[in-house]
Amino acid sequence: MTLETLKPYLPWITLFVLAGIVGIANPAFFNPSGLIALVADITPLFIMALGMTFAIYIGGIDLSVQQMANLVTVIATVYLAQFGIGVALICIIIGFLIGAISGYITTRLYVPSFVSTLAMGFVALSGAKYLSGERALSMDATLRDRSFGWMFGNTAGVPHELVIAGVLLFIAWFLQKRTTFGRALKAVGSGELAAVASGLNVDRIKILAFAISGTFAAIAGLMFSVKLSGGDANLANGFLLLAIVAVLVGGTPLTGGVGGVVNTVIGTLIVVVIRAGMVYLEIDATQQQMVFGIVLIVAIALTIDRSKLRGVVK
Amino acid sequence: MADTMANAAPAARFLTRDRIIKWAPLLVLGVLILLFPFFEWLEDIRAGEAHAYLIDSRFFSIRNAARIGIAAAPALMVAIGVTFIIIMGSIDLSMEGTVSVCAVVFAFAFLAWGGTVLSWAWLAIPAAMLVGAAMGFINGLVHVKLKIPSFMASLAMGFVGTGLALLLTGGDRTRVEDPIFRSLLTERWFNFPVMVYVALAFLLIAWFIQSRTTLGRNFYAVGGGEELAHASGLNVERVRLMGFTLAGVFFAVGALLAVGRIGIAETATGNNFMFVSITAVVVGGTALWGGIGGVWNTLVGVLIVSVINNGMVVIGLPAYVQDAVLGILVILAVVLSTDRRSVSFVK
Repeated sequence: MTLETLKPYLPWITLFVLAGIVGIANPAFFNPSGLIALVADITPLFIMALGMTFAIYIGGIDLSVQQMANLVTVIATVYLAQFGIGVALICIIIGFLIGAISGYITTRLYVPSFVSTLAMGFVALSGAKYLSGERALSMDATLRDRSFGWMFGNTAGVPHELVIAGVLLFIAWFLQKRTTFGRALKAVGSGELAAVASGLNVDRIKILAFAISGTFAAIAGLMFSVKLSGGDANLANGFLLLAIVAVLVGGTPLTGGVGGVVNTVIGTLIVVVIRAGMVYLEIDATQQQMVFGIVLIVAIALTIDRSKLRGVVK
Repeated sequence: MADTMANAAPAARFLTRDRIIKWAPLLVLGVLILLFPFFEWLEDIRAGEAHAYLIDSRFFSIRNAARIGIAAAPALMVAIGVTFIIIMGSIDLSMEGTVSVCAVVFAFAFLAWGGTVLSWAWLAIPAAMLVGAAMGFINGLVHVKLKIPSFMASLAMGFVGTGLALLLTGGDRTRVEDPIFRSLLTERWFNFPVMVYVALAFLLIAWFIQSRTTLGRNFYAVGGGEELAHASGLNVERVRLMGFTLAGVFFAVGALLAVGRIGIAETATGNNFMFVSITAVVVGGTALWGGIGGVWNTLVGVLIVSVINNGMVVIGLPAYVQDAVLGILVILAVVLSTDRRSVSFVK
């Protein structure tokens, strides 16, 4: 049994070992209603990570997700009164467009995705600051409940956030596993030059992958905005690190090609467990970012496919 | 576009791609410096007031130049640090975390060891630079030894750094009020505060390292073609490690100047340095692919970014436009500096 054969199971093993440790330290962790609440709480992050999976799956990265979510929280708050539930459509379209622009800049203009998405993130931040007037805005409670009240609450003990997360997971899974687009994604992620040589329209596939990432980030932002009942150009700060951690810890390597959206479910659960563990083990909130930064480095080091880096790591 | 021009006619060969790339940043800076006073002139003429172009400009004045210098000095240090890395074809995104940690460590040590430059507290300055070097070295180790692409290794290390700074401060601000240290800002020689001269001194040091030392030449060798450099017997890993360590030292200097500027060290001291410095380096004409450019390009790039930020405020544009302008600028700069024939695909 070598590390290579163990690799696909590493995320599962990590999840169960960590859950076990936290559970032994604090048996209350396994209390079902508490667990469900913990998982439901992280839904916006999960949705964002789900989208990010597509960008990483093709070997890129999307650093704009956090700013995208920020922008959407502001848009949703500002235009809720005017468009009601229609504001969701606006958010999704904006997410798709900004993601597609990042993809276009990456593929057609040859700008590495970490630069293009970082730059587009700042364009989004600019929009968020403009629309919000650099103030924290809040939603009108009745309007919010009328349009988006269905997002939160419980039906037969199942929080609605989990249902939404499940639906989005199914869509993402379907896209990845059951469509030609999904297979093309895998081809691009496994070896881009080979995908080009076999006649795939690689540029279009990559642009679409970034657009999906943007769309999911927008949905995450919308949920977060409804949840906190407001919008602010800094509201979603702190999401970026956790979203990247969730994808990579789940076993989708930075080099792309393997893993996928189901792995991101495991990755997000690992993030939930680590977070819960830190709370129970009384690790200060200020230390969490450091812990996740280190977790990120370990996860990348364990999952990255070095044969794909062709000898040179820049 | 430059390619077609070069091929179109022999007479047009004067405008080769290389020449355009080399001089474009300086040209842009010149145009910007003339453009903002023009907007001021336009505004006053429209309002029916007398306004002599450049002479009556609030932007084109010594006082404003000093303001731009103060804003640019810490950013220049951070950008010079990352310039070495980008010349090697890598990238360093850890500066926000490193700057915060260095600023906080400096402030704590400075206050603990006496609180004035005239006591042993001056040791806090080299201590902060050592901390910067150590963080850069760890960053380099993660990148080189774990074979993680530098953008991700450094991004993760940046998160660790910000977390560490938060851990050290607990979210509090530390004031550094020693008048001698603050003379970085308050003491002026020829209208410019001392910190501008300190930054220029470190620019010269960086230029010396870049052009007169083996290490500097090795940065270009690695960036020009890593396999070739490796084949010719260069210890590429060591060069990279030293590059990241050196970058860490310059981040620390940037942190010291940033603390000198506002007199406060906190977790947020490092905020915004990442995007500003990367934009400055790329806009200055150092190619993201490595091998081209240098610290003088970075000086021009930092000035372009600072002039834009300052000029937009002077002509009355709201601050939020700056983020979008910088975002578009960095994309444009990368696009213009990329030779598409030599790039097969981009991740």
